[in-house]
Parts: sequence; structure tokens; C-alpha cells
Amino acid sequence: MAGVTLSGVSKTYSQAGLPAINDLNLEIRDGQFVTLLGPSGCGKTTTLRLIAGYMAPDAGTIHVGERLVSSKDTLILPEHRGMGMVFQNYAVWPHKTVFQNVVFGLKLRKVPASKAREGVEQALALVGLSGYENRLPNELSGGQQQRVALARSIVVEPEILLLDEPLSNLDAKLREHMRSELKQLQRRIGITFIYVTHDQAEALALSDQIAVIHEGCLQQFGPPREVYNRPVNRTVADFMGNVNLLEGKVLSSDGRKGEILIAGRLRTVAALPAGIQAGAAIDVALRPENIELKRLENASAASGTVVDHTFLGNISEYQVALDNQRLRVQTHPSANIALGDAVEISFAPDTMSVFAHTDPAR
Amino acid sequence: MNSGGANVRRPALARPTARLEWLRFDQVVMAAAVICLVILVVLPLCSLFIGSIRTPDGLSFAFFREAASGRLYRQALINSLILGAWTGLFSVLIGVPLAWAISRTNVPAKPFIRVTATLSYLSPPFLTAIAFVNLFSPNAGVINHLMREEFGVTWLTFNIFSMKGLVLVTVLHTFPFVYLLAVTALQSVDASYEEAAEILGAGKWRTAFSITAPLVAPAILSGTLIAFVNSIALFGSQAIIGLPGRIFTLSTRIYSLFDYPPQYGLASALSLVFIFITVAALFIQRRFLARRSFVTFGGKGSRPQLIDLGSARWGLFGFAVLVFVVAILLPYASLIAVSLSKSWGLAFWKNLTLANYKFVLFDYDVTQRAIINSLILATLAATLSIALGTVIGWIDLRTSVPGRRLLDYAALIPLGLPGIVMAVALIQFWLAMPIALYGTLVILLLAYTGRYVPLGLRAANSSLRQIDPTLEESARILGASWGVTMREVTLPLIRPGLFAGWLLIFVPAIQELSASILLFSSKSITLAVAVYNLYETGYTEPVAALAIINVIIISLAILLANRLGGERERERLEYRPA
Repeated sequence: MAGVTLSGVSKTYSQAGLPAINDLNLEIRDGQFVTLLGPSGCGKTTTLRLIAGYMAPDAGTIHVGERLVSSKDTLILPEHRGMGMVFQNYAVWPHKTVFQNVVFGLKLRKVPASKAREGVEQALALVGLSGYENRLPNELSGGQQQRVALARSIVVEPEILLLDEPLSNLDAKLREHMRSELKQLQRRIGITFIYVTHDQAEALALSDQIAVIHEGCLQQFGPPREVYNRPVNRTVADFMGNVNLLEGKVLSSDGRKGEILIAGRLRTVAALPAGIQAGAAIDVALRPENIELKRLENASAASGTVVDHTFLGNISEYQVALDNQRLRVQTHPSANIALGDAVEISFAPDTMSVFAHTDPAR
Repeated sequence: MNSGGANVRRPALARPTARLEWLRFDQVVMAAAVICLVILVVLPLCSLFIGSIRTPDGLSFAFFREAASGRLYRQALINSLILGAWTGLFSVLIGVPLAWAISRTNVPAKPFIRVTATLSYLSPPFLTAIAFVNLFSPNAGVINHLMREEFGVTWLTFNIFSMKGLVLVTVLHTFPFVYLLAVTALQSVDASYEEAAEILGAGKWRTAFSITAPLVAPAILSGTLIAFVNSIALFGSQAIIGLPGRIFTLSTRIYSLFDYPPQYGLASALSLVFIFITVAALFIQRRFLARRSFVTFGGKGSRPQLIDLGSARWGLFGFAVLVFVVAILLPYASLIAVSLSKSWGLAFWKNLTLANYKFVLFDYDVTQRAIINSLILATLAATLSIALGTVIGWIDLRTSVPGRRLLDYAALIPLGLPGIVMAVALIQFWLAMPIALYGTLVILLLAYTGRYVPLGLRAANSSLRQIDPTLEESARILGASWGVTMREVTLPLIRPGLFAGWLLIFVPAIQELSASILLFSSKSITLAVAVYNLYETGYTEPVAALAIINVIIISLAILLANRLGGERERERLEYRPA
């Protein structure tokens, strides 16, 4: 069994000149479900293809367990890596039946015919496609084709399974269904899954660890809760779901904690990142679901005004104006707050993240 | 890991140690393809160039000066350009109305029009030329004879041995180029462009001229240039029609330079002039094709409305019938008639005989050898061109090897090489080599394969583009080597496309004349050369019999290949990308 270690990996496509991956360090432990998360073009698929061995890095090394598989001068070919890969477009061979697709890897491993048949049956049962052996891919739905691709990859019992946005071509309902099946599958067979997606909800639901990648650089690597609740910078906070990014400044600081003023109105005490002094400009990330609103009879210095309200069924969403900044708040739909109301804003300080200020426009 | 007891650990794949494997099967195959291409195309072309500047007094441009100043050569150049220009023009005048009729109007009998265009393209131009000589040679031509002697209408006679005659015979072969490109373009113009104009108040005709015509013009110009290049490269009709009329062209002039004593240097210089013209035309054509791209990606299958021509559609249909009569019916009916007559003339039907067939098949000892040679050559050349094209296409599309674009261009060079120029280049190159290939089947095979590599590349390229690289990548990561991936995934998926390409090479290869005419020997004679030689010696009736046999062989080969391919076609299932 094996984990994957990327050390200082860089890759530049000659045409663009900009690095697709820049000095990436990542240690993926054995048996984990790790997601590479980021917007399209961030380099996550490049990372996956480097791990698969479809191309060599320009710098850095990739180890599987103790074994060096990729460096500038070394490239173990994909066929010698013992990995599996599921592609976004399934890549189920259209000229082979379901059985022929799944048995392909076993034949290459010279598994005897009876054993191979048994293996294929097990793999198809695992993905819920028993009885589909003789179908051709064009007789299957997208979800079924995706499951064939999955069965084809796991039947050879790879040490590492790579998945490149495997659910993005499915409709919403099927995607949710397959998501839970994938998670169960990984628990059952216990191999390392490296999963690429741009969908943060998918990443949060599936992963043991999430690696957030932005513009070729690793931003944060940690468990879903940590990445969601404790984003290390504005980019991660912005990418992980709905978030209010407010400008503020530090009023006083003891090096670790300090008093801050948010949007010129809200005063609170918060943990500060290292090196932030009193008087520094900061960005504050606040999740809409962590904010509470209370209706006030009279507006005060710390209150905001409700300027928009959307009823979404299970929740109510409000836009609250604080001077020139807007705050998005999600509450239980039973909250009795109307447009134009003055509201008091409160939140637990530990649900808030503070970063040194960066100009979003850059 | 424990995967639940039932799963037994599968045998692992062989694990080579971490190193760059320097001698891999895929690299060997790719290197071999590159070497083949260099030997087939690049080196002969280089020796053609060297041959053109190596004079008895050292390196100089003396041969080029001679080619430019000699009246004979200048006239040949001018004649070729005149021929190409008229052929291009008339290809448009025939091809565009037919294409428009097929794709935009309610003209009757559309399948008939399509078949007419296809047959005109497939029909060997030198056979059409021979047939027209039988009908329109100034004295013995049957139709001329009929008009002059029986009806006394001298002004209705037609001298085939003239530039007019040459253009006529050539156009019948080249108009399908314009037709095909125009049809493709017209069908890919999204109907919504036209509907948008109509909703703004433009009538059908106004829309056709102000919206549709500009959109398809690049394709038509492109087809015209291809017709131009092909027309000046055709040796057969230029020799059969041009030589008796004393109309020398570049092709025939180069050919006559090989009369004893051969003038290799001058032939090389003239060949390079020839290449310059064809390459320039093809270069412009590529420019037009590049501009065409905005047409091709239209909406989803919104079909254009057909223009109701009213009774005018019968006029257009009549035009198509006329083309069919002149391009197909007249030549082939007359060839059959000649082949069955004892002595060709107005009263030929009084003495019908099969003796001509017996003569060419059994008494004329060349025929059987020529048939076998041509079948072997066409089969091998088509297969090799496709194989080479596939490897080169794969390198271009699936690897990041530096210089792969260059390789692509090298494989396209033969498009600009007229057959006779290819032959001159091969002679120059192989005469300098220690291996005696001249006069063998091998040098013919090299010429054919080199000539048709671009077609092989095109077939492979368009097929490979249609299959997603992940289909190959998913095989690789499951443990399949490059070779296994090719055999199990890539080749089965592109086979239908390759097969269509194979047929597109086989058909012209089996009737190849332009290059063969300089390369053949009595042992390696081919079918087209046999016909031409027999014609040269003046056997009118046996030539017709051999021509008909030639056509029958081509038809049988196409039929057989289609049947074989058709079976595979049925096995294959449409690839529907996810």
C-alpha cells in the first residue's frame, strides 16, 4: 500500500509560459480520500496527470511510497504505476462490451479466465451493474457508463485511484447518489483516492483531506472542517462556499489576539494572524450561516439595515447594509424580520477568520 | 488493505526500475515512420534540387536560365497555366450550380447528380481522353465524321487536339473538386444565418447572393485551386490530347526530356518550376480554407429550407443530364462500342466482335502482367500510406515531440508534387544510390506511397481527432503498453476512417500514370501505362478493350473493398462521446 508524496513539483506548458503547477508540496497518506480542489485552470488536473505519469514534471519529484516515479529525468510510464484512473468523460471504450471493458486490466495481468470472470462480476456488483455484462456503452446512461469506468479501475485493485471530476457530467440527483456511493466504496476497499473537483460541496462531503489549489499553488491542505472553518487566506475563504469578506482594521493587539473594528461598525475581539500590528488593515471572513440578526426598535451605531430578503424554503437570506458594505446572512425562515428593519448583528468570534488585507482586484 | 475477503490480490504488473526507458516500442515505430518519410519524400526532393543546379561546369543556375529562356519551355509553362486557369473556371461553372442544386433547391433526381459527380471523379482521365479522341479527332473522329459527311454541318465539328479539347477532357475530371467542397460548405452553413436575413426582409434570391454566397466563397475558391493544381498535374490527357495538337505542357515537356539522351538537369529545373506553381496555389488554397472555419460550426442541425425552383428545376436537371452524358455516357458508351468493333467507324455495328478482348487479354503478353502489377502496387501503396499516415498523425496529435509540426508539413509536401515530378525526383535520387531500384516494382511502390502519404495522413488525422485521448490514457493506466493500447483501443476505433482513406488511395493508385510513365520497365509495367503504350502504337480497338477491362478492374476492386469494409462497418458501433 502506498501514499503519494509530491516535493517541489512544477510544470509549465511551453505555449503559455505561465506555470500550471508551481512548487507543489503535498503528502497524501495511504488509504485516504484526498481531494484536489480549485477553480478550473488552477492546475489540479495537471497535478493528477503528473501523478498518473502522463507527463513528467519540469522540477521536483513524485514518490509512490518509497518509490520514485516522476522527476525531470525519470518517468515511470502510466502502465507501470499500478494506479487506476476515472476520467471526467468516462473514457469507456465504445467498441467493447461492459464485460470486455472491465476485464481488460485483468487480462493484462494474465489473470486466469475463471478468476477474471469472478473479479468482473464482483466489481460490477460493487457498482450496482450486475447483469449488464453484455451491453455496449452506447446502450448505457451517463451514470451507468461512469460506474463501468469505476468498475474497470477498481477490478485490478490499484493501490491508488485517481478520479478527474468523475461526477461533473451527471445530473444533480445522480451526482448526489454517486457521491455517497463513492465514499462508501472508498471505505469498503480502503485504497487511496485522489479526487479532483471544482465543486467545494463535493470536496467537503467526500474528503478526509482537501488540498485547495489556486493558480498553480497549494493554498491549504487539511481536513474539510479545518479548511471550511479556518481558511488560511482570503482566497481559500472565498472559494469554500458562501462567505462575507469585510474590510476592517486592528484597534489593539497583543500579538495573538486583539480588538478589531469591522466595516467601521462592529467591534469585537478576535484571534489575529502572526505579524499583524495595531492599526493594520485586515480582511474578515464571516460565513452567512454563523451570523444572527435581532430586530431593533431604533437604529444604533452598531446596527445595520435590511435591504433585501430572499425566502429559500429551508432558510431565509438577508442582505444587511453596513455603511458601504453589504453583509449576507442566513437564518431560520421563522425569523420575523422585514425589509427596512434595523438589526443588531452578532456572531461567535471563533467563527470568524482574520487575514492581513489584500486588494481583491490586485 | 482488506477488500472484504472475497477479493484475492491480483498479480501485480512488472515494475521496471525508475529510469527513462530509452528503447521503447513506440519510439522505434515513430522513428521508423520518420525515416520512411525522409527516404520517400525529403531525400528525393533534395536530390531534385541538387540535380537542378549541378551542371558540367560546377554548381550554377544554368538549367534554370535555360528553362526560362528556351522558347519551348516558356511555351510549356504558359500552356500549363492556361490549361489550369480555364479548367479552374469551368470547374466552378459546372461544380457550383450542381452543388447549389443538390443542397439548396428542390431539383429532381438528386442521387443521380451525386453519382454523376462521383463517377466523374473516379473515371480515369486518360481513358476519357482516349474516348474523346475516338469521337472528335479531326478526321477519324466518329462524331466529326458524322457531322461533316452525313449532315454536312462542318461548323459543328470539333477538333479535340486543341487547348479547347484539352480543357474539356480535364474539366470532366476536376469539376468534382469544386462540387464537393461547395456541397460541404453549403451544408454546413447554418440555416439560421439565412433565416436571419429573411426575417429582415431579404428575399430568397437576395439572401442567396448576399449571405450564402460570401459564406461559401472561400470553399469554392479553395476547390478551384485544387482543380487548378490537379489539372496541370495530369499527364495522361495532356499527352494523349496535347501531343498530337502540338500543345506542350510542363508535364509533357518534362516527359520528352527523358527521350534519349535524357536531360536530367533540365528536367529537374523544370520540375522545380512546376513545384513552385503547385505549392503557391496550394498555399493560397490553405489560406482560403483557414478562413472557411466560421462556416463549419453552426447550430444544431437546423436544416436549410430548399428553394422551390418551379419549372426552372428541370433546366438545372437538364444541365446535370448534359454533364452526365458528356462525362460518363459518351466516353464509356463509345469505348464499349469501339472495343466491340472490328474497325471503328460509323458502320461499326455491322461487325461486332470480341476479338479485341481476346487479343489484349491473351495475345498481348503485357496485359496480365500489368494487371497483377497494378493490383499489387495499389494494395501495398494504399496500406503503406495509411500506416505511415497513422503513425505520423499520432505523433502530431498525441505527443509533444519537438518538431512534430515539421513532420506534418513534410508529409504534406507530396500534395504539391505532380506525379511526373515525383518520378524525376526518385530517378535522380535512386540513380545516385548503390541499390539498383530503377525499373523495378519497388521504385514504383516508393513513388506511389510517397504520392499518397498526404491522403493517408489526412484519413488518420481526422479519425484520430474524433477519439478522445482519454480512451488511450485509460488503457495505459490499466497497464497496457503503447502497442497493446494501439491494438486494443486506438486502431479498432479509427479503423472505419482508415478504411475509407485506404479506398481513396487505392482507386487513384490503380490507375496511376503520371509517375509510372517515367519509372516503369517491361517487367514492372502497370495497367495505365499498358493502355497508354498500346494507344501510342495506334491500336484503336484493342486500346478500348483494355480501357474497358481497366474500368472493370477498378469497379470490381471498389466493390470488393466496399463489401469487406461494409462488413466491418456493421460490426462497428457509433462512438458516442459522453
